Amino acid sequence: MASKMGRDVSPRARRWEQPVVIGAVGAVFCAVVLLPLLAPMLAVVGGALRPESARSLATPGPWLLLVRSLLLAAAVTLVAVALGTLLGVLLGRTDVVGRRVLLLVHAFPMFLPPFLLGLGWFTIFGRQGLAGGEATARFLFHESGHVAILGLAFAPIVFTLTALGLWNVDPGLEEAARVVARPFRVATNILLPAVRPTIGLGAILVFALAFSELGVPMFLRVRVYPAAVFSRLGGIDYDPADAFLLALPLVPIAALLLGAERRLLRGRPFDVLGLRHRGREALPLGRWRWPASLACWALTVAAVAPLLALALRAYRGGGFSEIDRWIGGSLFNSLLSAGMAATAIVVLGAVVGHACARSLPGSRLLDAVGLLAFVAPAVLFGVGLIALWNRPETRFVYGGIGIIVLGYIARYGIVGVRSLTVAISQSPVSLEQAAEAFGAGYLRRLLAIVLPMHGRALVATWLLAAVFCLRDLETAVLYYPPGLEPLTVRIFTLEANGPEPVVAALALVHVLVTAVVLAAGGLWLGGRGSR
Amino acid sequence: MLSDRSRTLLKRFLAVFLLLAVVLLAWILRQKGGGDRSVVVYTSVDQVFSAPVFRRFEEETRIRVRAVFDTEETKSTGVLNRLVAEAAEPQADVFWSGDSVRPFVLVERGLVEPYLSPEAEQVPVGFRAADGTWTGTAARARVILVNRQRIGERPLPRSVRDLSDPRWKGEAAIANPLFGTTTMHVAAWASAWGEDETKRFLEALKFNEVRIASSNGEVKRLVISGEVTIGLTDTDDAFVALQSGAPVEVVYPDQDGFGTLIMPTAVVRMRGGPNSEAARRLIDFLLSAKAESMLAASGAHMPLRRDIERPGHVRGVGEIRAMEVDFAEIARQMERMQPWLRRWAGM
Repeated sequence: MASKMGRDVSPRARRWEQPVVIGAVGAVFCAVVLLPLLAPMLAVVGGALRPESARSLATPGPWLLLVRSLLLAAAVTLVAVALGTLLGVLLGRTDVVGRRVLLLVHAFPMFLPPFLLGLGWFTIFGRQGLAGGEATARFLFHESGHVAILGLAFAPIVFTLTALGLWNVDPGLEEAARVVARPFRVATNILLPAVRPTIGLGAILVFALAFSELGVPMFLRVRVYPAAVFSRLGGIDYDPADAFLLALPLVPIAALLLGAERRLLRGRPFDVLGLRHRGREALPLGRWRWPASLACWALTVAAVAPLLALALRAYRGGGFSEIDRWIGGSLFNSLLSAGMAATAIVVLGAVVGHACARSLPGSRLLDAVGLLAFVAPAVLFGVGLIALWNRPETRFVYGGIGIIVLGYIARYGIVGVRSLTVAISQSPVSLEQAAEAFGAGYLRRLLAIVLPMHGRALVATWLLAAVFCLRDLETAVLYYPPGLEPLTVRIFTLEANGPEPVVAALALVHVLVTAVVLAAGGLWLGGRGSR
Repeated sequence: MLSDRSRTLLKRFLAVFLLLAVVLLAWILRQKGGGDRSVVVYTSVDQVFSAPVFRRFEEETRIRVRAVFDTEETKSTGVLNRLVAEAAEPQADVFWSGDSVRPFVLVERGLVEPYLSPEAEQVPVGFRAADGTWTGTAARARVILVNRQRIGERPLPRSVRDLSDPRWKGEAAIANPLFGTTTMHVAAWASAWGEDETKRFLEALKFNEVRIASSNGEVKRLVISGEVTIGLTDTDDAFVALQSGAPVEVVYPDQDGFGTLIMPTAVVRMRGGPNSEAARRLIDFLLSAKAESMLAASGAHMPLRRDIERPGHVRGVGEIRAMEVDFAEIARQMERMQPWLRRWAGM
């Protein structure tokens, strides 16, 4: 195959092809991510800031709120890591009863907006909830409820990463340990240390998501910094520069998270995740098998309980019959914007992910930009996107679905980059090198060798990116174009004084659509073997 | 038995079928309402009340309404700020404000195109601008929602000033005055009592451990749940509470004093909006008897027009002793007090 690659492109052009293509894609990516972040900053630098706004950061109020938000995010991370690691080990490597089903059920909430799960828990534990009362409502509408809901919502991220990491541990290492040690010691002394980087990565992701979460704290009326910035945008004396100034302390936090992630993965290739040894024999739990299985199944009930509660609320209140009256075009808007953004993210991920996997120049910078956008609070983007795109010449973007797509690409571009980095880094580079030796240019190698080899990874990445876009609330809520709000935004705005059964029914529509998209992905990817 | 290849093809066919089915369903749901023409409206009137009005307009005119709704947290100011942010390139044709003060912020910035709707003649003079910059319609009042179970045999509060009374210490709630109609209410106090007196009152509220909720909807929830005994909120929230069967009572405050604040929702035509003819038609509809009746029935909004038969659960504007207010002055006061309120609210 490689011998057919070297045609048409002159050696001189071949030399420039790779940096030009990566540079062009990277420049577009950087522009999509960085320009919205820089636009309000220019207003600050340009002197548009009012003195009273500058003074607001000189008072202790915002800083105390920031510390409080960091502590809450840390608490959420602790809960998610504790639960996720435990489940990851149990479901990823042991002989827990029904672990295939449990794996699917536990991973699913990761793909839903935490706000919807919050609605579900409210349906159960709200004062007039199915199992609610004074005490449960107090717990729920409090920092404790915030930590519990987000901890449960984000635990699947740690759980999935832990399980993926465990499947990738060298089987020889594990088998050697099992000769001399019991399964428990194998798990604690060999497996867990081996997957510490993936658990750490999960912790960073959870921290970033918990810190920038808007829907749950606003629903539970828990004061957190990003929500305060969002609310600040709602003040009568609105000023984008002012809002940006308030959002400035979030930038070093995002940079710190980025640094932490880099430190964690230092010296390790991107292939710490994978499915290479998924089929290996499970660790026997012995007499702990049934207690552990019961615990896992109990946690499964906790994972699906909010969704069942929403279904019951919608059914009892006749919410399902009202769906077509309230849903409007929001579902279509969600699917269209998520589909378009996911396609762009796959294109981006193919180029940048390949560059990262092969450690090409500039790839780490692009990866850092993507991660920065993912961990940066979405309100930063909202302010910036309005400032940047609301111009006569870009009206076709700002006034249409394009502005939502751009926001999604900026925020979730890293999903495509990282997924394809992991996939491509697990394939041998020798084919590409052989093609290059025969004179194949960068684009030809990418299109004729790399992408066909990773067709399934491309589909999986598209699905993952689409689901991330579908679950988004924070990015689009600030600037969605008139009449083009995604379903999550419609649920969020309707929640205020809207009929609860209808809100519950719309939330379930979102859950079902996500499930269908994932099921379609499962069918497609499961078409050839299970790997 | 199917071969591996056939099974793979079947699975992939199913996957594509599933995705297409979802997209098709979404597309069908999207097709409801509206024709080729459209009008853009930004509104801080709750979606649950405003969306049905838009749907009726779409059914009657075949003009599609493309709406941006506010979130509960930033009610009344979120979309207002978006209008200001978009001033250089206006996207909206109409702003339907949840109160009659926010439009003045837009008027002051030169963002409003005056429009004297023929329907406006039916609106009492005090609830519309003579120059057509804004026109009031379905109104709400600021009321005290009381939890009957928690209050027990104690007498009901009669005035907003009762919120600072030590007998309600730790038992009262108001929404964050930086947002929503509470901003307008505080500015109305400042106009009526003076700024210093209002600040003293707000400090007294803090001293009395009044809960600061994120929104009026949250005040309603706090009262319904019994976390507080009394809360200052709007009539539409109070109506939702009553409808839910919660043990609550509604008090129109200061009926033997300076009166209850009445807040018409207000319709404004935006300057430079892309669909001027459709905007006029939407404004006419929002001010019509039909729209006011819908809002009275769904959200207990008080009709301003005299040619409307009110539902039994809705009090007429004339039946309430209303606070005497100058909406323009309240708007100015509102902007003046923002920095102080921000400090008061800790942000």
